[in-house]
Amino acid sequence: MQGESSGEGTAPILKRKFGRHADTISALGLGGHHLGDAATVDEAVRIVHEAVDGGITFFDNAWEYNDHRSEEFLGAGLRGGWRDRVFLMTKVCTHGRDASVGMAQLEESLRRLQTDHLDLWQIHAITYDNDPELAYRKNGILEAFDKAKQQGKVRYVGFTGHKDPRLHARMIELGYPFDSIQFPINAFDAQFRSFQSRVLPMAVQRGIAVLGMKPMQGDGAPFHKADVKLSPEQALRFAMSVPGVTTTITGMESLDVLRQNLAFAQKFTPMTPDEMNATIAAVAPYAGDGRYETYKTSVAYDNVVTRQVHGFPIAGAHP
Amino acid sequence: MAVPHREFKGNSVSILGVGGSTLGDVGSNSEAQRIVHEAVDAGINFFDNAWEYHNGRSEERLGRALRGYREKVFLMSKVCTHGRSKSVGLSQLEDSLRRLQTDHLDLWQVHEVIYDNDPDLIFAPDGVIEALVQAKQQGKVRYVGFTGHKDPDIHLKMLSHNFPFDTVQMPLNPFDKSYRSFQDLVVPEALRQGIRPIGMKSMGGGGEPVQRGAATPAELLTYAMSVPGVLTTVSGIDSYDVFKQNLAIAEKFTPMSAAQMHELERRVAAIAGDGRLELFKSTKYYDAAVGRQQHGFPPPSELPA
Repeated sequence: MQGESSGEGTAPILKRKFGRHADTISALGLGGHHLGDAATVDEAVRIVHEAVDGGITFFDNAWEYNDHRSEEFLGAGLRGGWRDRVFLMTKVCTHGRDASVGMAQLEESLRRLQTDHLDLWQIHAITYDNDPELAYRKNGILEAFDKAKQQGKVRYVGFTGHKDPRLHARMIELGYPFDSIQFPINAFDAQFRSFQSRVLPMAVQRGIAVLGMKPMQGDGAPFHKADVKLSPEQALRFAMSVPGVTTTITGMESLDVLRQNLAFAQKFTPMTPDEMNATIAAVAPYAGDGRYETYKTSVAYDNVVTRQVHGFPIAGAHP
Repeated sequence: MAVPHREFKGNSVSILGVGGSTLGDVGSNSEAQRIVHEAVDAGINFFDNAWEYHNGRSEERLGRALRGYREKVFLMSKVCTHGRSKSVGLSQLEDSLRRLQTDHLDLWQVHEVIYDNDPDLIFAPDGVIEALVQAKQQGKVRYVGFTGHKDPDIHLKMLSHNFPFDTVQMPLNPFDKSYRSFQDLVVPEALRQGIRPIGMKSMGGGGEPVQRGAATPAELLTYAMSVPGVLTTVSGIDSYDVFKQNLAIAEKFTPMSAAQMHELERRVAAIAGDGRLELFKSTKYYDAAVGRQQHGFPPPSELPA
């Protein structure tokens, strides 16, 4: 595959070109939300160090994860020179509020992550129909993007969301030169309100790096069902094999999970088109009605701050 | 006062239609018959139904009530192949005609186009589209269309085939405007192709927004009937009282101005924009069991939470 090379030194995880830019990032990324679920900061630090030594360079996070513990844990892991070995991403959580809210969150993220710059700063959770308009409005978050880039505090910018491919398409169509875009990529998505069918080609055409998430549906629910003929390894391999995907972000809340994923990623070879079609066919009986992608349908997966900013009631109040 | 009508290909169709599913919910056959007769006498001539509503009871009820009234109404029913073949569709048509006690339908629509692969199944060789064509040729149906409550993209995929549908049915209400909007995404394309939109779920499908005090029935029904280009609004009428209420609203109808419509949309946006008032667009629990079966999906009762 074009633009791919194995890692340097002892780290054999495949790296891929970050969109239209010269940077390369590891084909497996470490999810920031789960890092905040690590039992202690020490375990989180060990996860980060072993991940880097194992060849993972892409680190995900968000200003609002786990009331900021996720960024703090990652910052602790990146102290002492580790920062320079990674491609560091976090997300800004204005959810439609002013550019100044975003700039203040950036300062907090930098402080917790113990660095002076991010490699990638993304808008978190484009969820509601009016989110694209709120992002593009005067004094919206995109103005903060321009400013942060000018100040050298972030190198690249993008956006994320798990709700609706139409909203991602709209974000791209409105024209801002995003460097990356993040959305769910898995075999279920291929047949229900599909991001990979609708959004991925638009991104690839524009040289926007495609960051996959939820390779195991976010919560691994299908793998606890005897009737679903798909292993976690097969699911991860599928997600990493989707043509055009740059990295696949997955949660690793313990050293055990990290080691499993590292071993898997280090021996990764992409599925053939036949293998991919067979995987899609294998999950078809459980995929087409969206029952394992409720992040696309249920308000229960909208994060609290997003809901608050839009004036929607939070947990318990919705049906 | 009579219910206003709109022109449709040389026919005259009332701006309010009586929904077939809820007609099957009405307490008794005699109450249902009273609703149908009084509706027709008041000028309502659009009657909705579907082959699968209440396992045929909705069509049977309407058929009995239409004895002597058939020629006064514009009769619609829906075919429920849910991806199965043309022959399944044609045999359902014979069932519908028999139950409705008539030799033809004015409008026959493909019911519940709601899964991502439905357009592919419908337009496949030997799919239900071929049944629509044949039934028209045989004079058993005059016009054809399709319906669905799930996703504007699926409607657009249906319309991308440029098939000469006469109508397309979809949820039309002020909540729709801020969540996965059929009105914004589908209505313009339908009108561009000369296909008339039919509205449904004017009060959110179950009237929940009314119970919550978000808006009144008069506001919501008047809004739906005011959507530019809409042919009629199919209304869920499950009792004589609801019938009288909606009839009075339709008789008094004057279209809302664009500004009035925007005002109502703005007012409800704060409770509508996350989709909680239109769960039929997001959850699986509003999808008919027959359709789920044809796609190999278990009934909603067997789904994970």
